[in-house]
Amino acid sequence: ERGRGKRERKRGRKRGRGKRERKRGRKRGRGKRERKRGRKRGRGKRERKRGKCCRLPSPSPCCFSSEQESPDEQEENELEKLKEAVDDRKKLISTLRGKPLPMTRKLQTLRESQEFVEKYEGAIGKGKGRKLYAYKVMMLKKWMKFQRDFENFKTACIPWEMKIKEIESHFGSSVASYFLFLRWMYGINMILFGLTFGLVMVPEALMGMPYGSMPRKTVPRAEEANAMDFAVLWDFGGYAQYSVLFYGYYNSQRTIGWLKFRMPLSYFLVGVGTVAYSYMVVIRTMARNANEDGGGDNNCFNFSWKMFTSWDYLIGNPETADNKFASITTSFKEAILEEQESRKDDNIHLTRFLRVLANFLVLCCLAGSGYLIYFVVRRSQKFALEGLESHTWWERNEVNMVMSLLGMFCPMLFDVISTLENYHPRIALQWQLGRIFALFLGNLYTFIIALMDEINLKREEEEMVKLNMTIWEAGLYNETVGVNSTTPPIAIHPADIPRGPCWETMVGQEFVRLIVSDTMTTYIMLLIGDFLRAVLVRFLNYCWCWDLEAGFPSYSEFDVSGNVLGLIFNQGMIWMGAFYAPCLPALNVLRLHVSMYLQCWAVMCCNVPQERVFKASGSNNFYMAMLLVILFLSTLPAIYTIVSIPPSFDCGPFSGKSRMFDVIQETLESDFPAWFGKVFSYASNPGLVLPFLLLMVLAIYYLQSTSKSYKQANLELKKKLQTVSHDNHVSAIILCAIPALT
Amino acid sequence: MVSGAIVLAFLPLVLTFIIRYRYYFVLFYRAVLVRIWYDCKTGLSREERAFQYVLTHATPGDPESILETFDLWCSTVEFISNIGPKKGKIMDRILSEHCPLNVLELGSHCGYSTVRIARALPLGARLYSVEMDARNAAIAEKVIRLAGFDDDMVELIVSPSDEVIPKLRSEYGLERLDLVFMDHWKKCYRNDLQALEGSGLLGKGSVVLADNVLFPGAPNFLKHVRKSGLYEWKIHRATLEYSKGIRDGMAELVYQGIK
Repeated sequence: ERGRGKRERKRGRKRGRGKRERKRGRKRGRGKRERKRGRKRGRGKRERKRGKCCRLPSPSPCCFSSEQESPDEQEENELEKLKEAVDDRKKLISTLRGKPLPMTRKLQTLRESQEFVEKYEGAIGKGKGRKLYAYKVMMLKKWMKFQRDFENFKTACIPWEMKIKEIESHFGSSVASYFLFLRWMYGINMILFGLTFGLVMVPEALMGMPYGSMPRKTVPRAEEANAMDFAVLWDFGGYAQYSVLFYGYYNSQRTIGWLKFRMPLSYFLVGVGTVAYSYMVVIRTMARNANEDGGGDNNCFNFSWKMFTSWDYLIGNPETADNKFASITTSFKEAILEEQESRKDDNIHLTRFLRVLANFLVLCCLAGSGYLIYFVVRRSQKFALEGLESHTWWERNEVNMVMSLLGMFCPMLFDVISTLENYHPRIALQWQLGRIFALFLGNLYTFIIALMDEINLKREEEEMVKLNMTIWEAGLYNETVGVNSTTPPIAIHPADIPRGPCWETMVGQEFVRLIVSDTMTTYIMLLIGDFLRAVLVRFLNYCWCWDLEAGFPSYSEFDVSGNVLGLIFNQGMIWMGAFYAPCLPALNVLRLHVSMYLQCWAVMCCNVPQERVFKASGSNNFYMAMLLVILFLSTLPAIYTIVSIPPSFDCGPFSGKSRMFDVIQETLESDFPAWFGKVFSYASNPGLVLPFLLLMVLAIYYLQSTSKSYKQANLELKKKLQTVSHDNHVSAIILCAIPALT
Repeated sequence: MVSGAIVLAFLPLVLTFIIRYRYYFVLFYRAVLVRIWYDCKTGLSREERAFQYVLTHATPGDPESILETFDLWCSTVEFISNIGPKKGKIMDRILSEHCPLNVLELGSHCGYSTVRIARALPLGARLYSVEMDARNAAIAEKVIRLAGFDDDMVELIVSPSDEVIPKLRSEYGLERLDLVFMDHWKKCYRNDLQALEGSGLLGKGSVVLADNVLFPGAPNFLKHVRKSGLYEWKIHRATLEYSKGIRDGMAELVYQGIK
């Protein structure tokens, strides 16, 4: 303890370092070689050859020169240092991704650090806690591995991921964004399908009265002959009409089956729930996209942004890369021209006149298309009055065909007219989208107004039928039973009983037919306009006088905006009609599924990458905003009909009620305890609802103003950063210039 | 049978078609219909009519004025597919960059491009112009002599190009061609290029200029150029001669030689 003899010194030098030890592994003192080897970035010849890149020298267990510490303390110190080293390594592993090293070096560092950590980690836990510590560490590692595998599994489960990535590498991110949008829509429609199928169609099919038991569930005798014909089924008449696919089949019994399933309530709530869910999803996605926008400053450092951020790293195809290269060059040229032109504005009167003219032409086209649809719908009503059988297939499906064709051809005309206007492509795209939007909206609302006329017709017919039915029933009784006896009523086959007209089923059928015809038109146009054209161009080119690929027809390009709008409007029609035809979400899921495969194939097989490739990421929220507007506009007619028109007396889950939403009242009265009804009636008191609405409006105003002030603060900070960097730049220049001056 | 409304719904498509391809319709009108009309009316061929006009309106001995008169006639009266003013400027620039001494021109038609090239040639250079059709060659000869170029500078060869190229070395004593200008039938571009490669007349740095590679287009030629790897190629994009909306291009190939 006091002094150490020579032998002790020789023996007990636990931490002393002999020559061999020094050679083996010095942590602190550094010899020449150590300095050469252990310099943070410097490396010895052999190390460079080997490619070692770890900066932390490996600590050896015996690295202390102090002899005076006790064994325990020494061990503790040693463990602490070891723990530090292991922690350092762990930190290195976690930050390795961001370091500016080449990939091979990174992989090597990672491997060495992981080996080190594995080797020494188990040794860190002290004494008794050692086993528990090792166990904890092992469990943590297993948990992390499980998490990683689960993430990989989740990514592998995302449908069509590889397909979309392949398209992105060939065509750029704007075309891929359409397919991402399609996939997102597919997800929403799956949920809607789940709701309508699981809560409306399946209960009625399983637990409701079977086909043929009631008049509303049976094909009328007159139509029975051709109820199974393909033509009738394709038009959704016959057996398709009298099934769970449409509103008219459902019975208005309050509870069905042994589960006491409240069918009318479920129908109503599912209808409301689909709309609510759609709103929620769209607004949530919009909010998420708004955050990602980041508020890029488009006015400053235009050319720097273009220079450093134009390239799309997801491109994997030489032709696309060439196109992207060419388009970046063109955009530079344009930017230079714009800079020059912003100094001088020549002939702005001509430009303005041309723009006004173009808008006038577009308005004419919109008016023309609106009038054509109105005219065709009136004609179809006339046909309906005369009886549909006396007209050809073309005349019967005139409305749908005209709407689909106009929806397909007018956007092309708008595109051509917009060349008059001479806008920047991004602005031209927005105008184009706005015009197509107006076209579709006009067409849709004309269609709805025509539909309202038909609904009114049907309701008048209903009154007459009600009258006729009472007469018929009375007649029936008097025939068979002469006396006022209490004999049970005669069994008349449900197919023979006259039934009232069902305007809801008619509305549902119209929407389904419209969607089917729209889908068919899209697919046929795809096959003719893209595939047939590509086949002709490819194979006629050998024997044609001019170059078909470079000249007139050439291969078609994928029209992102037109397709996205088509998708949005189809979804709008689904939302409009889903209440009256529960089969619509199912139909849409099928349609989107087929569309995905067909369009992926068509894009890869028949289209060429666009020549002007500009990123459409800024338009992402634009499409979402349009979707929101369409959602709002398409739920309006459905809500109007629910609230103001009484349901048919002879079909559907709400038959017999004066308004469809009476089912809620009924449920409150019969299914919930009395106090609930009272609470609800208090809550729905206008005196309570109006202040609540006022509070919500004020909250919205408050949030809006705080968000505006945050944006302001952001901009101020950005400006400050700019001036600071500018000052630094200027002072750096001055500092560099001083030696040059002296 | 098919109702009028459905037919009316196709109207936007027809309008789009007409507006988008209006330049092609105009070209068709000018190049085909007007030509047939004048052929029937005057009985002269198109090139003879052009020559009449140039004779009466241009100053002899001044290549500039002849070219301008040609341009005027082609843009206002009828359509002949000369190289045109815009692409001609590109060609002038290339000529002044390279200053070739031996130039081969395949397809001189009326002699417009011959005059244009000859105008930009340095002293002592020689231009060999090949024209297949005898009548056009006669007109071209007259135009070239009207412009003031004598036999020293411009030699007109009347024969199909695939027959001439093998004979260039033996009969005309050419060792190397500095510039080749192709403006004849588009389907012959590739064969003639391969013949030139085979004959050994192209040296390192020889320039081949091919007109109208995008409209009417010479896809086989472009494919051959891309695949063979013997050339540094570039396509100068411009519009078709005397037409504003139809895109066209001129390919400039610089022979690199076999590596």
